[in-house]
Amino acid sequence: MSGFEPRIVAFLCRWCAAAGADLAGTSRLQYPPNAIPIRVNCSGRVEPQWVVEALKAGADGVLIGGCHPGDCHYVVGNYKTRRRIYLLHKLLADMGIEPERVRLAWVSATEGARFAQGMREFLAELKRLGPLHENGGEK
Amino acid sequence: MKVNLAVYWTGGCGGCDVSFLELGPNLLGVLSRVEIVFWPALVDTKREDLERLPPRSIDFALVNGVIRTAENREMAELLREKTKFLGAYGACAHLGGIPGLANQAHGILESVFGPNFRPAPPIEGYPEDAPAQVLFEALPLEDVVSVDFVVPGCPPPAGLVARFFQAALEGQISLGQVFAEEKALCEECPRKREERRITRVARPHEVLLDGEKCFLDQGVVCMGPVTRAGCGAACPKAGMPCTGCLGPTPKAGDPGLAMLSALASLVRAGEEGEAAFPEEDKILDGFVDPIGTLYKYAFAKYARSLAQLTKRREGMRA
Amino acid sequence: MPETRPRIGVFVCHCGKNIAGTVDVARVAESVSRFPGVVYATHYEYMCSDPGQALVQRAIKEHRLTGVVVAACSPTMHEETFRRAAEEAGLNPYLVEIANIREQVSWVHTGFPATEKAIRVARTVVEKVQGNRPLRPAEVGVVRRALVVGGGISGIQAALDIANAGFEVILVEKSPSIGGHMAQLSETFPTLDCSQCILTPKMVEAARHPRIRLLAYSEVEEVSGFVGNYRVRIRKKPTYVDPAKCNLCGECEKVCPVRVPNEFDRGLSTRAAIHIPFPQAIPSTYTLDAQNCLGIVPLRCGKCVEVCAPKAIDFDMREEILEEEVGAIVLATGYELYPKEAMAEYGYGTVPDVIDGLEFERLLSASGPTRGEIRRPSDGKVPKEVVFIQCSGSRDPEHHKPYCSKICCMYTAKHALLYRHAVPDGQAYVFYIDIRAGGKDYEEFVNRAMQEERILYIRGKVAKVFREGEKVVVWGADTLTGKRVEVRADLVVLAQAVIPSPGTEELARKLRVACGGEGFLREAHPKLRPLEALTAGIFLAGAAQGPKDIPESVAQASGAAAKAVAILSAPKLEHAPEVAEVQEELCSGCGICVPQCPYGAITVDEVAHVNEILCEGCGTCVAACPSGAMTFRNVEDEQILRMVRAALEAADVGV
Ligand SMILES: Cc1cc2nc3c(=O)[nH]c(=O)nc-3n(C[C@H](O)[C@H](O)[C@H](O)COP(=O)(O)OP(=O)(O)OC[C@H]3O[C@@H](n4cnc5c(N)ncnc54)[C@H](O)[C@@H]3O)c2cc1C
Ligand code: SF4
Ligand code: SF4
Ligand code: SF4
Ligand code: SF4
Ligand code: FES
Repeated sequence: MSGFEPRIVAFLCRWCAAAGADLAGTSRLQYPPNAIPIRVNCSGRVEPQWVVEALKAGADGVLIGGCHPGDCHYVVGNYKTRRRIYLLHKLLADMGIEPERVRLAWVSATEGARFAQGMREFLAELKRLGPLHENGGEK
Repeated sequence: MKVNLAVYWTGGCGGCDVSFLELGPNLLGVLSRVEIVFWPALVDTKREDLERLPPRSIDFALVNGVIRTAENREMAELLREKTKFLGAYGACAHLGGIPGLANQAHGILESVFGPNFRPAPPIEGYPEDAPAQVLFEALPLEDVVSVDFVVPGCPPPAGLVARFFQAALEGQISLGQVFAEEKALCEECPRKREERRITRVARPHEVLLDGEKCFLDQGVVCMGPVTRAGCGAACPKAGMPCTGCLGPTPKAGDPGLAMLSALASLVRAGEEGEAAFPEEDKILDGFVDPIGTLYKYAFAKYARSLAQLTKRREGMRA
Repeated sequence: MPETRPRIGVFVCHCGKNIAGTVDVARVAESVSRFPGVVYATHYEYMCSDPGQALVQRAIKEHRLTGVVVAACSPTMHEETFRRAAEEAGLNPYLVEIANIREQVSWVHTGFPATEKAIRVARTVVEKVQGNRPLRPAEVGVVRRALVVGGGISGIQAALDIANAGFEVILVEKSPSIGGHMAQLSETFPTLDCSQCILTPKMVEAARHPRIRLLAYSEVEEVSGFVGNYRVRIRKKPTYVDPAKCNLCGECEKVCPVRVPNEFDRGLSTRAAIHIPFPQAIPSTYTLDAQNCLGIVPLRCGKCVEVCAPKAIDFDMREEILEEEVGAIVLATGYELYPKEAMAEYGYGTVPDVIDGLEFERLLSASGPTRGEIRRPSDGKVPKEVVFIQCSGSRDPEHHKPYCSKICCMYTAKHALLYRHAVPDGQAYVFYIDIRAGGKDYEEFVNRAMQEERILYIRGKVAKVFREGEKVVVWGADTLTGKRVEVRADLVVLAQAVIPSPGTEELARKLRVACGGEGFLREAHPKLRPLEALTAGIFLAGAAQGPKDIPESVAQASGAAAKAVAILSAPKLEHAPEVAEVQEELCSGCGICVPQCPYGAITVDEVAHVNEILCEGCGTCVAACPSGAMTFRNVEDEQILRMVRAALEAADVGV
């Protein structure tokens, strides 16, 4: 499965995670281009249905990036996200899908390097897990 | 002018066929205005009788049950061809129903009998005794034929069945119609909602339930908020949480995920914080059967394709 | 007639070489031009430049665009720019979206994959913009009046600042006089000027201010509405004395047969049922405390009425309920000291000569129960050895409060110094954990105390305080020398922890404002929004938000006032329209959305309602709503699902 390039959708909250991704750019930190970012106001807007839709539509993994606990621009949005993803992980596991394919990451606006590193790590994890879809290997 | 009616039972428990009796004396009124052209459970009609009918000669056909065997599928296709308005009747035809939960396994026969299972050949001279050809997946009706309307429920409650007959007899059915409300069940549920914050998740038998209070407020997962109203909140009134048999409201999307999000959002809502993460997780760990609770009826329709992803891939590797 | 079919224009920016150096911009534009819905796509060297913006504006008109996607730098850079440009060209600004292909593509990737990702990113945003609706900012009017709750120095300062800016203020104080704790203080650190002398002029100014309406002996009953448009119900308790007639002769007090502990002196003196808290009280009048009066109903005593020459006492006075509308609210309800019952290990509550800091202030005060002479409560003797214990009840997460009360290091130093001035041959001991004196001139002030000959600072914790004969024995350990210390003192002063004033949480609930774990009012953001509550239009001042000294309280009060004035002076309140919205025909009224909102923007009757002025647009309620009735303007589920599919579909990158 050598040529496998995982496909990733990344939901990023605009105040922290997307700002962190922007900083990775400003700092010219290279990371793999596998994730397509979708910016939302807060990780609290991210619905489990979006995550699952991404998996169904061909993603091998989904990243949800939010502010660190206590830093959410809307104070408590990321707490809700954390619980939703916690429960989604349980459900995915029961369905036989590796919960690691859905990753919740806290990235602050100053953590460009953390964003880039997180992307690399997630990619490595997904490569280890292999494609989610039958035709995942070929592109 | 009488209306031609067909009713057929595929993979189901039979409750749907019986449910018509719940119309009580009204059933007589209905029967006096319909011509039953095909209803194996009620009148002696066979597949050949159906095959003989010209295309689109049946005004309304109601199919109940999941599509589980090749024969189920053939019959559905045959009915489709002969019918003007074909409806999914009951949760199995609508959403896959409880038999749809079998899709958790990758191929039901293989997972019950093992990979080397082969059906026995029919005894010579008795081809009709051949074992049914079981499909790989259990499917809602809409996955094999186009469905014009839905009478939902497990089984459909009398009020909604009556509503269907009234519309049918008046020629008032619109394509895509679901004979239930657009709003969720909480709309018609008398239980009082106060807390809207969950500090435990438990199953009904684990809690001393208050008969007046909303189940969610008592930490018992109720599918009411994501399920169409129309049953008059029969289950909550009878002391049990809604399990979702009427299916999701039109904009809910996947009812299991919608309810999962709502449930997780309610845990300690308004009192959360980093220090409470372990406590929150403990509460959520009390939710022991996510699939059975969130997808009791709708697994085949909404979660099947996802659940099959990994399994299919494993099959591919093997 | 609005166009039914989308006509999207896509504008790919080179950003000089910043994007074009990595991403094949021509190919992006070419590929995007074939996406469904796109009628025009081009690329240009600097889209944000004037000619670039003109290019976008021209295309909007020429191609009758219904949506614009600018594929360029991060939306934080130029979203505003392009939205404004589009508006000038007649396109609703909310139909413009940015696809970030610089920070998140060209600067972080290389080669063909960068171009491919740029195409996908642009494509997702094209999908989004097709679902956008034109929006207009919400607008509401503003009631140009403020409510200030709490009449301590913080509340007084806030009220004065707002009133001086030209707006009416209602100042509600629950006790009979404004002034708060500052009125009880003797002298104030670090300058040692007399507290009353600097406070009284402010109190008088507030009382006389033509735009300040002072409601003392009153409490906020109920609050409804939202920023710019709050409705408050205020309960004004009867004082049974008409302030307009009372001339402060004090005859009533002399004949009143009742004696109860005087709260202002923290029980170190007594007062009559009819009383004035302190001579400079504002409003300047007596108050009859009905709870302790021998009987208003039925009238049994009435001695004061007989002696009141101007006939100011009116036993028929009843409580009043006032309904007021205000545009902004400042909360300045201050603090209290941690109660004595909680400090059994320090003998508080059982040993009369163990007192708290405010009691010591009263002993120091020239107008206090001892006229400024330090005399101990038990026998009135002048104490020759006094022990001050800092951090009493603070910084002790196991038994008491976990936090630092912040002001105690300073006022203890002040107490020790003032004690030494009052009792030149006295000896003071101060037990402390460490000294925190992080204010202007504070370190110098504490050093003064520490260098004073007869003030002994002992670093350590006191284990026990108990009475032995006439003495109060203090057992402690000096953590610097490791030695046990015993002091046989005449008086012990505890620097009790500062806690929120009683009733703070109840008031917070009425206002839908959050309290932190320790009950202090919680600010919207600990760093960036320290003056505001999360609920829009409600501001925090002084010790109600956390322990504070006077300069800090005053500074925060002025800041809160400025924030309130910003609201009161706005011609209208405008609010971004990208907020949550209920589809009422789908809402079952289940109420799951309500506790999701940190701003209290959602209410439910038959169905849910979102107050679009209060909604800050996080979308958390939308994700929680199980039935899909709660939606988010221009971030609808359907839009996101389309974006997700576009992100994953095989990208058409061919030329
Ligand atoms: C022993 C001691 C010594 C001190 N010495 C100094 C010093 O030397 N220098 C210095 O800078 N600081 C000193 N301080 C700190 C100082 O007291 C405070 O900084 C200051 O009083 C805070 O003012 P405030 O208005 O925020 O609160 P407060 O003074 O507590 O005033 C709050 C007011 O709100 C009213 N209120 C409360 N709840 C309600 C309600 N629900 N409705 C209506 N009204 C309500 C109260 O009755 C009170 O009048 C000292 C504190 C102590 C304990
Ligand atoms: S019991 Fe179920 S249906 Fe009734 S209000 Fe609660 S959640 Fe809704
Ligand atoms: S006697 Fe009357 S006027 Fe004099 S202080 Fe008392 S109440 Fe006021
Ligand atoms: S959660 Fe949804 S359905 Fe329930 S009250 Fe709120 S908007 Fe209505
Ligand atoms: S979007 Fe956020 S701020 Fe707006 S009503 Fe919903 S929870 Fe409140
Ligand atoms: S704003 Fe970043 S998680 Fe809420």
